[in-house]
Amino acid sequence: MPQVRIVAKNFMDMVAALPAMKLDQLYDSSFICEAVLRSLPPLAKKYALQLLFIDTPVTAKSIEEWVLSDGISKHKVAIDRLLQLKVFIEVIDRKKEASYKLNSKFQSNMQRYLVHGGSLPREPMPSSVTVRLPTSEDLEAYALEQWECFLLQLISSAQAERPTSFSPSMMRVFQRGLLSARENEAPRLTENGFQFLLMETNAQLWYIIREYISTAEDRGVDPTDLISFLLELSFHTMGEAYNLNTLTDVQRSAIKDLADLGLVKLQQGRKESWFIPTKLATNLSVSLSDSSSRKQGFVVVETNFRMYAYSSSKLHCEILRLFSRVEYQLPNLIVGAITKESLYNAFENGITAEQIVSFLQQNAHPRVAEKTPSVPENVTDQIRLWETDRNRVEMIPSHLYEDFPSKDVFEAACDFARDAGGLLWEDSKKMRLIVRGDIHQHMRDFFRRQK
Amino acid sequence: MASSAPPPKLYTDDVSLIVIILDTNPFFWGTLSNTTASNFSFSKFLNHMIPFVNSLLLLNQLNHVVLIAAGVTSCGYIYDSATAVASDGGQKVPAVCSEILSRLEEFVAKDQKLGNGDLRTVGGVMSSLFSGALSLALCYIQRVFRSGMQHPQPRILCLQGSPDGPEQYVAVMNAIFSAQRSMVPIDSCVVGMQHSAFLQQASYITGGVYLKPQQLDGLFEYFTAVFATDLQSRSFLQLPRPVGVDFRASCFCHKKTIDMGYVCSVCLSIFCKPHKKCSTCGSEISHSQTEQLDRKRKLSEV
Repeated sequence: MPQVRIVAKNFMDMVAALPAMKLDQLYDSSFICEAVLRSLPPLAKKYALQLLFIDTPVTAKSIEEWVLSDGISKHKVAIDRLLQLKVFIEVIDRKKEASYKLNSKFQSNMQRYLVHGGSLPREPMPSSVTVRLPTSEDLEAYALEQWECFLLQLISSAQAERPTSFSPSMMRVFQRGLLSARENEAPRLTENGFQFLLMETNAQLWYIIREYISTAEDRGVDPTDLISFLLELSFHTMGEAYNLNTLTDVQRSAIKDLADLGLVKLQQGRKESWFIPTKLATNLSVSLSDSSSRKQGFVVVETNFRMYAYSSSKLHCEILRLFSRVEYQLPNLIVGAITKESLYNAFENGITAEQIVSFLQQNAHPRVAEKTPSVPENVTDQIRLWETDRNRVEMIPSHLYEDFPSKDVFEAACDFARDAGGLLWEDSKKMRLIVRGDIHQHMRDFFRRQK
Repeated sequence: MASSAPPPKLYTDDVSLIVIILDTNPFFWGTLSNTTASNFSFSKFLNHMIPFVNSLLLLNQLNHVVLIAAGVTSCGYIYDSATAVASDGGQKVPAVCSEILSRLEEFVAKDQKLGNGDLRTVGGVMSSLFSGALSLALCYIQRVFRSGMQHPQPRILCLQGSPDGPEQYVAVMNAIFSAQRSMVPIDSCVVGMQHSAFLQQASYITGGVYLKPQQLDGLFEYFTAVFATDLQSRSFLQLPRPVGVDFRASCFCHKKTIDMGYVCSVCLSIFCKPHKKCSTCGSEISHSQTEQLDRKRKLSEV
């Protein structure tokens, strides 16, 4: 089975991939420094903090002395990451010993942060101008609705109630990899598309944002501007209003797209217009933490394989249809059954049993979520069993050896392969054996030595 | 293939809940700033501590810092990063600083008022109400544990200067054991003149770090190098090891620190003198043995 998966690559990988010049520019902003610091592995965070008030380079050797011997691999990861993000600058001194010092912009920004405190990206507008801001519940509902609308349009443009302002070409970019469009055929979801739908909101958002940024250049926008704006956005306070006039042109065009995704809500007053960041936006740089994005679940699975989903969302219905047979659809309830046929259908589309089970568990209705297990065990077991039914044949790349000159050579070869843990099959009468592909090289060396 | 199974947890395992217990004992800080050459005063100490609180909050947006002050007669919450951010929006750091300062001022004034009638304040440096502050910290951690689904990794950091109060021995030990039970490490940083036996034991039993900085002027570096380390990373890092732990106990009867004493065989209470009846559990102690012991000791002394 092909191991294709959509990796919700992290924001910081994208930042790290930027050229050094651009990265240095980014560190002018203290928010970006803050976001970068927070994204680091714990050990790297600690190193950065420890070097914060040291102006001279510290030798790599002395940093290595901070860690215990079993932490060396973590230490290397941390240092690599710091160098990758250009937080640490490597300095080679006369004795050719490597030492590190902090990026000076990063250092001064963080020092200022610790002593004087950070400033806000921009001042929120006074409440006298912005009468009646949405409550946080309204805002969250808005964000969710906006996001679902976008997803629906993404998977089947016909079903969306109102089209988003994304141009069809933009939409096609997002759909790339998720939908396969054959000629004269309605586009079908690909394997990746199914996986995408079962991911949680933050991960989905990442995928889309990543595509959005990576195609920025085609639209004539500098990806660096976009990245810094998105990071900045995540430091705004949720639910506060910010004036649109404070944005640059690039940002203003981006914010319209972001509103379509539900990251911000745009509102217009009598004279001015403003944007209100939603939870999706403030979670952007935090997207690594899953805990804060927990939504309330809606699915109840019974031991008789029946499934009740308390939801009025079309998107949910579409997702459930991926692996179950939807039987009734009431205004706020979807009743379905998990059947062998529906699951086989899902497996054929590349969804795995693990994904389905974890989807059911993650979206369990609060009433059943309290129980352990939240999804009945017989159902999860059966889902897994049905999956393994399809995978009776296991494929292992291997090599066949035959025409051995003598029984001794054959047996020595068998023993060698067995010791290496790669013997799959042997036939001593005809003197043939099959060995795992990955030890083929060792086998060849072995035969050469025999000669 | 488990791409949607628990979403890749990237570096989120360092979310910490840090409860800092701050010694606000005016007697101690007064003598420290007068006696030491470096002239280390409480305000200088705060200059190190507030950036440290900021840096803890900087390290992870989900980090949670609580400050508890331990005064002479009372203790109380000074600052809680969870409620502070919610109340005054985005202005995080300046607000942290001003909030800590104003709440500290309030607390010290209240503490002084409460302490006025107390006779203990006569003579020498007084101990702070460390046991109370430790219990407050543990209660807070328990509340966080029970309130939500999230389990930040808790730890307690004691910044103590004033000497141990032997009269708090039982309460402190109980707090230490309950911290051990709920797996909360107690880190301790002693800024005073002498080592603290309580904190040595606390850190030793709960697996925290005990440190008595040599140079108080570099306190911030000590803080970031040692106490800012999250529990996960501690297993990979070289941290100060305990040199020696003072395990001496206080007797239950006179609250004196003793090297040798009498232990009730039923409840393990410690006394400095033999008693007929254990004052803690009420069990009668037959005196024939203790008298024999006494006689033997007297003989050997002679």
